[in-house]
Amino acid sequence: MENIENTRGIKELQVERKENIQAVYDNLVPRRVPINVSLGLDIVAEYAGIDRRESLWDPLLVESAADELCDRIFSDVCVYGGKIHMPSYYQAMGSKNCVMSSTGFMQHPNTVGLLAEEYDDFINNPFDCIIEKVLPRNYKDLNFLEDPARSMFTIAQAMMAKNKNMAKTVGMIRRLTEKYGYPVNEPGTGGGVYAPMDILTDNLRSFSGMSSDIRRVPSKVKEAVEALYPLNYKVGIPPKITNYGNVFFPLHMPTFMREKDFSTLWWPTWFRQVNDYASMGLHSRVFCEHDWMRYLDYIQDLPTDTRIQFEYGDAKKIKEKLGNKFILTCLFPLSVLTTCTKQECIDKTKEFIDIMAPGGKFIFGFDKSSLVLSDINIENLVAVCETVRDYGVYSNPGDKAGLSFHKEDYKHSEVKPFESKYYRTFEEYKRQNPETPEMAKNTVMELEDAIVSFIYSLCQ
Amino acid sequence: MDLQFLTKWVGELDEENVICFLNEFIDDTPSESDAQEVVAACQEGMAEVGELFEKGEYFVGDLIFAGELLTEAIELLKPVLGSDDSTKVGSIVLGTVHGDLHDIGKNIFRSMVEAAGFEVIDIGIDQPVSAFVSKVKEIKPDIVGMSGVLTLALEAMKDTVEGLQEAGLRDSVKIIIGGNPVTKESCAHIGADDFTNNAAEGVKICKEWIK
Ligand code: B12
Repeated sequence: MENIENTRGIKELQVERKENIQAVYDNLVPRRVPINVSLGLDIVAEYAGIDRRESLWDPLLVESAADELCDRIFSDVCVYGGKIHMPSYYQAMGSKNCVMSSTGFMQHPNTVGLLAEEYDDFINNPFDCIIEKVLPRNYKDLNFLEDPARSMFTIAQAMMAKNKNMAKTVGMIRRLTEKYGYPVNEPGTGGGVYAPMDILTDNLRSFSGMSSDIRRVPSKVKEAVEALYPLNYKVGIPPKITNYGNVFFPLHMPTFMREKDFSTLWWPTWFRQVNDYASMGLHSRVFCEHDWMRYLDYIQDLPTDTRIQFEYGDAKKIKEKLGNKFILTCLFPLSVLTTCTKQECIDKTKEFIDIMAPGGKFIFGFDKSSLVLSDINIENLVAVCETVRDYGVYSNPGDKAGLSFHKEDYKHSEVKPFESKYYRTFEEYKRQNPETPEMAKNTVMELEDAIVSFIYSLCQ
Repeated sequence: MDLQFLTKWVGELDEENVICFLNEFIDDTPSESDAQEVVAACQEGMAEVGELFEKGEYFVGDLIFAGELLTEAIELLKPVLGSDDSTKVGSIVLGTVHGDLHDIGKNIFRSMVEAAGFEVIDIGIDQPVSAFVSKVKEIKPDIVGMSGVLTLALEAMKDTVEGLQEAGLRDSVKIIIGGNPVTKESCAHIGADDFTNNAAEGVKICKEWIK
């Protein structure tokens, strides 16, 4: 690390990193395998010896530790990854589906926000139903119908707290980015959303509820995911679409289902969403959590250059089957760091690179995000990252990597407009405020849509 | 009455037939021992579910549903079952270790191992070392089961094993750990007797220990 800084200078390193990763997205062989390794707030606080609970209230407390880790660990993204689940907003809302454990770790217990007998309400209008039925159940202080004033204050507090936390995190990452020369993503080009059936499952029907619904009321499940589509589709689209941005989908339910249920209930709406996005030139980054080996044939049908992140699986088979069409990432076991010696870590990294890197379309990452310091051994982590940097070098940078993506190859489906009695369209707004010029539309709707996205985020 | 069918329907997770059968059975005002036989048939069906899971024909969602189905069946039978539970093959203190709030995996294991005849004392999620220690002191179980989904559970499992050791209880129990992050290596590090990422296999291990 030191000598890289000395010989090239940070700005140059920044440009180089950016060109390197963009090459992968442009279907070219990069100079070397890009490294996507970062550490979240919890683990950085632990490294710093700061009380985890305090760091959750003020992430700036960990800045110097984050700085030190950026200095020690070579990665092509900021080593400090921040955190999304914070008590300042979840506790403000009286959240029951995102709470702190006895060790200060924010988590989702298995909660049921939507009852089996409420499917018809949900199908009738998912967003209305979320506001009227789901939120009051999962958040003690969000009962818009019974306690509207308190609920409005609460949601305002929560949104402000979330934005404040975001501003702190973004500021910190910006400073570290300048100091260590990480590539800067163009703002507004990234989004994140869940597969329709996953959002219906995670905190609405719950894993256990959905497992019964699949057998008892499959047709309701199907109708519900279809009804959800306009909302889900809308929430995922980032303000700006570029070849380098993407929409992130963490995928939860499929490996816990039978293929028959997966192929009829889970897959169709999600496949539709990814295809709709592809037709707009919007790439999806999908995290195939758990073990997807039995679904590789389905994955193969996804749009070219979908960025696919794996947890478990056979690296060789995955590369062979999917490596020419998709950008593959992760899969390298985090547990290697704590169960192997430094030399074994280095050897395993090389072995993995020998399998995954050839031909390009590959970014290095771990199978799991690390949560606590005992998940990693920093010395071994440093060694793994440096091995990727120094060993994962291509002899043919700039060559074409594999299949190339053309958005014209994909057809957009017919999507019904998103509607809810709680959503004010620009037409309605103009009826109320006739003097509003057309150019104000973005400003007006950005505010309206921010609410929709926030409400959606409360269901994850 | 043909209990083979009941076993088959439970194995196939055919809720409609299972419930229909049980309702007819109850309508005949059966004796307590008849009811015990029906329970046994359901439990055999659960064992089949476990087999199919191990073969890769069933998945976690099916196990969850199987647990639900079995609970439903036992609820129906309760009025005719009486309170005779002398047939327990062994006892397990089960919980999710401190720091982790997940319980889907734990609950699956609980219903399968209960179906295999064990008595399970479930102490819940996010349980401190002291909770495991005092329950083990009180119940003197054959087995302690620890569960966790996040990697942070691994150190907590280690703490718990150490806690049992310090309380002089370690050697009186077998310890099994389960959940997404556990591996052979982490099992050794934690000092448990065995590990699994598969509830059906966990049941087999426990049965083996009790033999
Ligand atoms: C579903 C899921 C969620 C759901 C949880 C819903 C809920 N309330 O349970 C939601 C969407 C809310 C979620 C959120 C998050 N998740 Co999550 N999630 C998963 C996922 C896909 C499945 C976990 C699961 O429920 N499995 C099903 C259960 C039944 O399996 P199981 O516990 O292994 O149990 C089986 C066996 O092990 C056994 N068993 C279990 N216990 C026991 C005990 C004994 C004694 C025995 C014998 C057997 C046994 O029986 C079961 C059946 O065979 C995993 C991916 C994975 N690989 O598992 C990630 C995963 C657990 N999540 C992860 C993360 C990072 C998160 C988040 C922090 C993400 C974020 N940044 O927001 C959040 C918050 C943390 C949290 N989970 O609360 C990581 C954890 C990484 C780590 N270091 O541990 C994982 C591994 C994904 C990944 N690869 O990064 N998550």
